[in-house]
Amino acid sequence: MKALIAAALIILANPTAAELNSAEEARAQALMREIRCIACENEPISQSTSDIAGNMRERVRIMVAEGASDAEIRTWFEDRYGEFVLFRPKVQGASDWVLWGAPFLLLVGGVALGYGMLRRKASAPTEIEAVAPEDLEA
Amino acid sequence: MIEFGHFAAILAFCLSGLQGVQGLRGQRGPAAFLALTALGAMGVSFLTLVMAFARSDFSVALVANHSHTLKPFLYKIAGTWGNHEGSMALWCLVTLGFGAAGAVFLRTGRPKFEARSLGIQGLVAAGSLAYLLFASSPFMRVAEPELQGDSLNPLLQDPALAFHPPLLYLGYVGYSFVFAMAAAALIEARVDRIWAKAVRGWAMAAFVPLSGGIMLGALWAYYELGWGGWWFWDPVENASLMPWLLGAALLHSLIVTEKRGGFAVWSVLLAVLAFCFSILGAFLVRSGILTSVHAFADDPTRGLVLLIGLLAYGGAALGLFAFRAYKIKGGPIWAAASREGALMGNNLILAVATATVLLGTLFPLIAEAFGRQMSVGEPYFRLTFVPIMAPALIALPVVQAWSWGRMDLSGIWKWAAAFAGICAVFGLLGVGLMDIPLFAALGVALGVWLVGGSMWELKRRAVTWPRLLKLPLRVWGMTLAHIGLGVFVVGAVVETSQRYETTLDLAMGGRAEVAGWTLSLEDMRVVEGPNWFSDRATISASKGGAMIELRPEKRYYPAARMPTSETAIHKSPSGDLYLALGDRREVNGQVRWTFRAYFNPLIDLVFGGVILMALGGLFSVLPRGVFKARARQADMASLPAGELAE
Repeated sequence: MKALIAAALIILANPTAAELNSAEEARAQALMREIRCIACENEPISQSTSDIAGNMRERVRIMVAEGASDAEIRTWFEDRYGEFVLFRPKVQGASDWVLWGAPFLLLVGGVALGYGMLRRKASAPTEIEAVAPEDLEA
Repeated sequence: MIEFGHFAAILAFCLSGLQGVQGLRGQRGPAAFLALTALGAMGVSFLTLVMAFARSDFSVALVANHSHTLKPFLYKIAGTWGNHEGSMALWCLVTLGFGAAGAVFLRTGRPKFEARSLGIQGLVAAGSLAYLLFASSPFMRVAEPELQGDSLNPLLQDPALAFHPPLLYLGYVGYSFVFAMAAAALIEARVDRIWAKAVRGWAMAAFVPLSGGIMLGALWAYYELGWGGWWFWDPVENASLMPWLLGAALLHSLIVTEKRGGFAVWSVLLAVLAFCFSILGAFLVRSGILTSVHAFADDPTRGLVLLIGLLAYGGAALGLFAFRAYKIKGGPIWAAASREGALMGNNLILAVATATVLLGTLFPLIAEAFGRQMSVGEPYFRLTFVPIMAPALIALPVVQAWSWGRMDLSGIWKWAAAFAGICAVFGLLGVGLMDIPLFAALGVALGVWLVGGSMWELKRRAVTWPRLLKLPLRVWGMTLAHIGLGVFVVGAVVETSQRYETTLDLAMGGRAEVAGWTLSLEDMRVVEGPNWFSDRATISASKGGAMIELRPEKRYYPAARMPTSETAIHKSPSGDLYLALGDRREVNGQVRWTFRAYFNPLIDLVFGGVILMALGGLFSVLPRGVFKARARQADMASLPAGELAE
């Protein structure tokens, strides 16, 4: 409870503590869109109206003003609230490679499969007749 | 009254079951009759439910939980489907509606196939009705009725959201009839050009309202949730996007099946999957298995029943597919560079994009089963979904002119040069002059490429300007949909990359700058509505000589004890100035108000693009009879003789 009051006091007393230039502000906003509010259903801190999200936004701004890198800011939040707060999943274990790699593997695999099937079917490609699309749609 | 509705729903359930039996026996006439009577029974049943809401009959449990006498009449009615049970009743009504429409309009010259389609639709409807009656009945009374109801979620008290669910269900459930036609074709192992021609209209009858439903949902999120965004890759949004993507793939695959007899196996598989993903969507939304801002019912047992239904219907159809697919004939052979090859690329990309959305949506759930708490959100989809879709968008203007069978690629360097030119112009202008990031500039170039390429193709087909009006509606539909896609890309890229957002903290008379506008808080007052009261701010905004007033509100609905924000939006050609009212706070005795202010550039292109896509779809299936009579017979006559024979 004490911590909550203290947090509330910080926001109330000084709602815009960190002064950022426009490039820094843009970077801070990009980060706020990919850090998840811990009090809401499924919202980033950029959207949430809860107090804790306001607090977290301010923390992002302060860290940006202090010159922390994107990775450092993400790690700071992860250390305190767990991996759950990162909307951009990290690549650490084998399962993360599945998550990030599977879409592209599927695409490459699909192209290879389609091309392989085509090669098998079309043994004499010169015989194929070209038909203009208009001829069938008229 | 409500007991009468309950009885009518049970009657509809029995009639649907009978329709299933008669249909599968190949009796078209009786199955069609049963489909129409079942719709009639469910129509009466749904009407009693609507009446109960209209009259605020709080002896009905559903009305007591989800309505209130102070609610405006329109939202009392919309409240019927603004909850789990009522929306399932609507789902059943729409399923039966598609069955009845099939009974009347499905004419392929193959009565056995039509009967089986109606039969399977009957079984789908019976399954939905069983779920309604036994797992989520809206017809229950309360023993001791209260004098007042518990109101509707005030967030849902909104015109866009009153019509969002019905449209979405028309889409989801529309795929049930496509599913039924696919299963019927699998039973007789005949998937050919006539089948594809028949399915196409029904696939579009699902795709168009689904597009509209998704768009209304995004529009609602944009102006009602008060965070300035329109799409957040939320699980519930993803659940509606997956059937849409598969539906788009199906529409393109069906073109090959209809015109050339090719891709038959693939088309029928997509037809089955589109409906499976619709049920999967319902499961994800209603089971409470995923946390979402939109989830409006969470009950694990209901989810389990839906999952069993999905496995039963989907599994049966896929089993049938496994046994029959090898019997289905393909079309003539084609080279990789051909219209078939291009449409295969389209399908591959849309299928992989669907798989990506599915993976990203389910991955946190799977991780949780292994004890890992994690999130997958917008950055993941931006880095996977977008690059996967990009090749399809780049190729589209080039390949839509390609011929069937094979295509001479000697002129392709002209296209490559044109694309490189557009990218260079927009890249230089964007990065050099307007100071926007390179990827955003290239995204805009891609959108312009799509719009220009679609128009170019229209002109190429018309050859001369006067012939433009004589082109078939189908070509116009295609062009419109592809232009819509380009418009959407421009809007989405500009809006997401150039959106400006900030939090303001204003005392009375305080000033702030937002995206070139000077804002000043002029007035703050309490306003009262039919079932709410609100704090309403008046803010004057000036830019150059222009001066406007914006009135964002924060509403409280005492019956639901819930605040909502009513945003104030000023539209201008370059974008929306958007204000949402936040909290009141006192700093050193001075009253201050927080506002969230956004400038959303070109946001209307996002919604407009989707509307164009839906309109294009609608155009492409309108029978030419709308403008010219007797076109349908000519259409059928163009098919090779013998294919019509049963």
